[in-house]
Amino acid sequence: MRIELTVNGVAREADDVWEGESLLYALRERLGLPGSKNACEQGECGSCTVYLDGAPVCACLVAAGQAQGREVTTVEGLAGDGLDPVQQAFVEKGAVQCGFCTPGFLMSTKDLLDRDPAPSDPEIREALAGNLCRCTGYEKILDAVRTAAANR
Amino acid sequence: MTMRTDAPLKTSGAARYGLDVTPPGTVYGYVVTSTIAHGEITAMDVAAVRAAPGVLAVYTPFDPLPLRTPMSPLLGETWVPLQDTEVTYYGQPVGFVVAETFEQARDAALLVEVTYDRRPARTSLHAGLADALDAPPSLHGEPPTLQVLADGVESIEDALAASAVRVDATYETATQNHAAMEPHSAVAVWEDGRLTLYSGTQGSDLQAAQLAQALDVEPARVRALNPFVGGAFGGKGHAGVSAFLGAAAARDLGRPVKAALTREQVFTATATRPATVQRLRIGADADGRLTALAHDSWSSTTATPSFVEPTSHGTSREWYTTPNLAITQKMVPLHVPPTTFMRAPGEAPGSFALESAMDELAVALGMDPVELRLRNSSIAPPGRDLQWSSKHLDECFTLGAQRFGWAQRHRRRVDRDWLVGYGTATAMFPALRFPCAVRITLRPDDTAEVATSGADPGTGLRTVLSLFGAEALAIPPERVEAALGDSTLPPGGMSGGSTATASVGSAIAVGAPAVIDALVAVATGPGGLFEGREVAYADGRVFAEGDSATFGEVLRAAGRDEVTAIGTSAPGEEMTKHSFSSFGAQFCEVRVHRWTREVRMSRMLGVFDAGRIVHEQAARSQIMGGMIWGVSAALHEGLEIEESGRPANGDFASYLIPVNADIPTVDVEFVRYPDTLHNPVGARGLGEISVVGVAAAIANAVYDATGIRVRRIPIVLEDLLE
Amino acid sequence: MRPFAYDRPDTAAAAVAAVADRPDAAFLGGGTNLVDHLRLGIADPGLLVDVTSLTSTEIVDIDGGLRIGAGVTNADLAADPRVRARLPVLAAALLSGASGQLRNMATTGGNPLQRTRCPYFQDPASACNKRVPGSGCAAIGGATRNHAILGASEHCIATHPSDMAVALAALDTQVRILGPDGGRTLAFTDLHRLPGDTPEQDTELAHGELITAIDVSYPRGRHAYRKVRDRASYAFALVSVAAVLDVVDGTVLDARIALGGVAHTPWRAVRAEDTLRGGPATEEAFAAAAEAELADARPQPGFDGGNAFKIPLARRTLTATLRQTTPRETA
Repeated sequence: MRIELTVNGVAREADDVWEGESLLYALRERLGLPGSKNACEQGECGSCTVYLDGAPVCACLVAAGQAQGREVTTVEGLAGDGLDPVQQAFVEKGAVQCGFCTPGFLMSTKDLLDRDPAPSDPEIREALAGNLCRCTGYEKILDAVRTAAANR
Repeated sequence: MTMRTDAPLKTSGAARYGLDVTPPGTVYGYVVTSTIAHGEITAMDVAAVRAAPGVLAVYTPFDPLPLRTPMSPLLGETWVPLQDTEVTYYGQPVGFVVAETFEQARDAALLVEVTYDRRPARTSLHAGLADALDAPPSLHGEPPTLQVLADGVESIEDALAASAVRVDATYETATQNHAAMEPHSAVAVWEDGRLTLYSGTQGSDLQAAQLAQALDVEPARVRALNPFVGGAFGGKGHAGVSAFLGAAAARDLGRPVKAALTREQVFTATATRPATVQRLRIGADADGRLTALAHDSWSSTTATPSFVEPTSHGTSREWYTTPNLAITQKMVPLHVPPTTFMRAPGEAPGSFALESAMDELAVALGMDPVELRLRNSSIAPPGRDLQWSSKHLDECFTLGAQRFGWAQRHRRRVDRDWLVGYGTATAMFPALRFPCAVRITLRPDDTAEVATSGADPGTGLRTVLSLFGAEALAIPPERVEAALGDSTLPPGGMSGGSTATASVGSAIAVGAPAVIDALVAVATGPGGLFEGREVAYADGRVFAEGDSATFGEVLRAAGRDEVTAIGTSAPGEEMTKHSFSSFGAQFCEVRVHRWTREVRMSRMLGVFDAGRIVHEQAARSQIMGGMIWGVSAALHEGLEIEESGRPANGDFASYLIPVNADIPTVDVEFVRYPDTLHNPVGARGLGEISVVGVAAAIANAVYDATGIRVRRIPIVLEDLLE
Repeated sequence: MRPFAYDRPDTAAAAVAAVADRPDAAFLGGGTNLVDHLRLGIADPGLLVDVTSLTSTEIVDIDGGLRIGAGVTNADLAADPRVRARLPVLAAALLSGASGQLRNMATTGGNPLQRTRCPYFQDPASACNKRVPGSGCAAIGGATRNHAILGASEHCIATHPSDMAVALAALDTQVRILGPDGGRTLAFTDLHRLPGDTPEQDTELAHGELITAIDVSYPRGRHAYRKVRDRASYAFALVSVAAVLDVVDGTVLDARIALGGVAHTPWRAVRAEDTLRGGPATEEAFAAAAEAELADARPQPGFDGGNAFKIPLARRTLTATLRQTTPRETA
């Protein structure tokens, strides 16, 4: 099928998409947006987190057909003229190591702060529980989220 | 402080990892894995696979891609897939399907019918203990069984029997998988008989060399690129099946091939940390001074023995002063996935046993566990003459105890429904470095480049290269660009063994004076800005009497595009003068639910003596990550292998690693004593030491909270239900 | 992933007709479970009918409770002020399930229908009567730590993985269903089945029947949801307990209790409720209730040590949760 969707504010389309393939695959392999990562393809790690109609979801578990006509934001779409405050805070606090989980963490963090501008530490830890980091930079990530909250 | 130079790329989604490139015409490969642990493949029916939509090729042991077994001095042999019909573990790659899209390849791969001649599989470490084999010699070349006995002592048993206080306990640690977030993958492109391979590994030059050997092409015809690596932890030292099969299939098909393992496949088709069983016997006098230490280890290994977890040699061999020491290291060959080094190989599981046993000894003595460790601190490994070059473990413990509030541990601590316990342990990890070459280039725009083929798997090496280059050239780090992860650059070796900072730092310390000499030659040579004059270099400028110019100006004046020099370094004479190690003291506080027995971390502190700290932020991240790895080993992760050889929990839904909610405040402190006896920059590694001792500290804290001694990790709540 | 046809009809009735027409058709909701199964090769539908936008995404007041549209996401349901105020056991159960990303996708209709996370069910190379009837059960004697202690059969020892369903089982919940022959209503506690000799059938829904809404009544009493798991977040329950206890002057007027992680269904703890009702809300009564509920529990041996520990764990968790619902400080 042909899918038409809006990605990072731009109308995009892809042909010969098989409905059963994942939105993640369509983004990475068909639409040239490899920022979202595939680390488990099972919804267990959050590396592929994107916004679907404004809510963060695991793109690996969204069938491409389900994304038809909907709005998607990926890590590539977070920055405006400059880095988003969330990205800036991750840079400032050194909250990246291997970086493979980082795009997913950024999406989850932005969503958290949009819903709750001043989350407590336990709330941050719980809200980010769907994102695995094997370098386990959780402390720096927590720092970055606090900083982003303060800077917004 | 300079920020991590990789952070802007990694936060914007612009960092390109191996699988993120999609050359025109790319096709997709999917690996097929075995569903038995031991036997012979007698047939593979692939007719339906070939007929499936989009399928371009199916490779099997009956229709293989020719690959030769690569051999490297550092890594030994690397296994290559599909070259025979022998199956020696469940989940072994036995086929490779290439199709126009990934889903077509995966779909078709499900249609492969494999017929096996099944043989009995040995999968139980316990069942194999009785007829275990001696392990090969250790990294230092020491035999698997060794003893150091005081004069007049006949045997370790005699020494133990004569000890006033004794501990005798057996500990177990689980099989683990590195589980880097980036699954092993490769994109292979051939052009004019040359291979370009995009694949995250721990050393691009090693990867290129292995591929060249496997594919039987000249090394110069293989370029391996890994500018960004999504985690490695020892699991990406050897080139992987995606790289071998992807490269060979791309050559066969004349199309770029993209191949990635699924997460489930990563658990079997890469490698694991072996499981261990360890018996510790410790004797001490009434004052807590060790009189005898015996550490017997058994490690699982592959059916044809390969890597063995060196738990005895990695810990008891070196850590404490004792007049009598006996260690053994055995291995049990099993039909299990490949074994390899994983973050602190030997030290991580070995320290669980040794440091739990030390805690048991402290309990038996009625002594403060910190005091027990201080009392037995070594000045050199037992029986060796070479003293530690720079050891401040005592300071780590005293500073840590104060900062953690260790003295409060005797108060009865119950926090609502939670029982609270404190634990501590020693951490040590050898300071190593590898041969390394770094190219330093000065450019006309007054910037410099520091380049090596080595990898930054998240450690911060990219930033460290800039910092060392800036320091050696006395210019701001913003003007020093780092290049790495490209096998065409000077060989940087492997990012492993906590070596990279010391290795590149040593090479830069050699290369920088050389490039400055070359710059001076340009400045003072024919047509140079200061032709024939006496000059000196400082702060990015060349000074002649009464005059100076930036190095860029010197180069521009001479019409030069660059000056360049390569610095090389390798471990040398220092190895004959001292023993080298990093040191640390681990402290933790746990909470155990009084009714339902979950164990949760509530506080952690690690104080480390790791020489000079080069980049505070990256260093702290490495240390915290390692400490959390220790939490994971203690409370979460373990790959369970069923009797059939099948892994029972090989995915992220059931192989648990901590999430943010599991991790409390992690406090890190350094005692900062540059170790210039080890290398000119004074930095020792810190990627691995941070995991060492943590699992024991947690088990010790659980004992403190509950009175229950758990001698097997991961600790699960049923261990604590009386 | 096997090729399949994909359809996105305009109405729920059309979706029901489309699925009812083809024995190999299936509904696709949030997809968090089914998309994974397609990929693992354990679901092989010929036609997928996407119902994500066909059922209500509204939560409306009904007499004494709420009607929750099947399309309401777990995240929206947990955030609803009425749910947080009047059905806190449901909000807590929802928030303890999965992760934020998955709760944004998972739906009210789909969540209770998710299939077991038994690793042998999820592995096409393992024997599983639920996946391939008659093929055997590789879980028996395997890794059984996450398997059932109540209501298992010799054919299947799987557990139901949902947290939300445990809370719904404890509450007075009705499931509204649309089928090819029209609508019907089913008590939530009658939705799921024990495995018996037909473990392939998880629920009492017929092929083509679609959950369109779930009605929940507000109970009287204090709520608690307690989930015991191997991680502090984002892990399936070893044991979970949903409880609503209505205690007046120290006497239990009503008790609503369900257990998760212990059976093929969200396990309504009728015996515990009967033991408590009309008696005192004391530590001894809670222990007796737990004892009664677990009296028939049977452990599964396994190479991983088995799950015998879940019997005392379930007892302790049940007691601890009941303690949480009583208006006094915990010890």
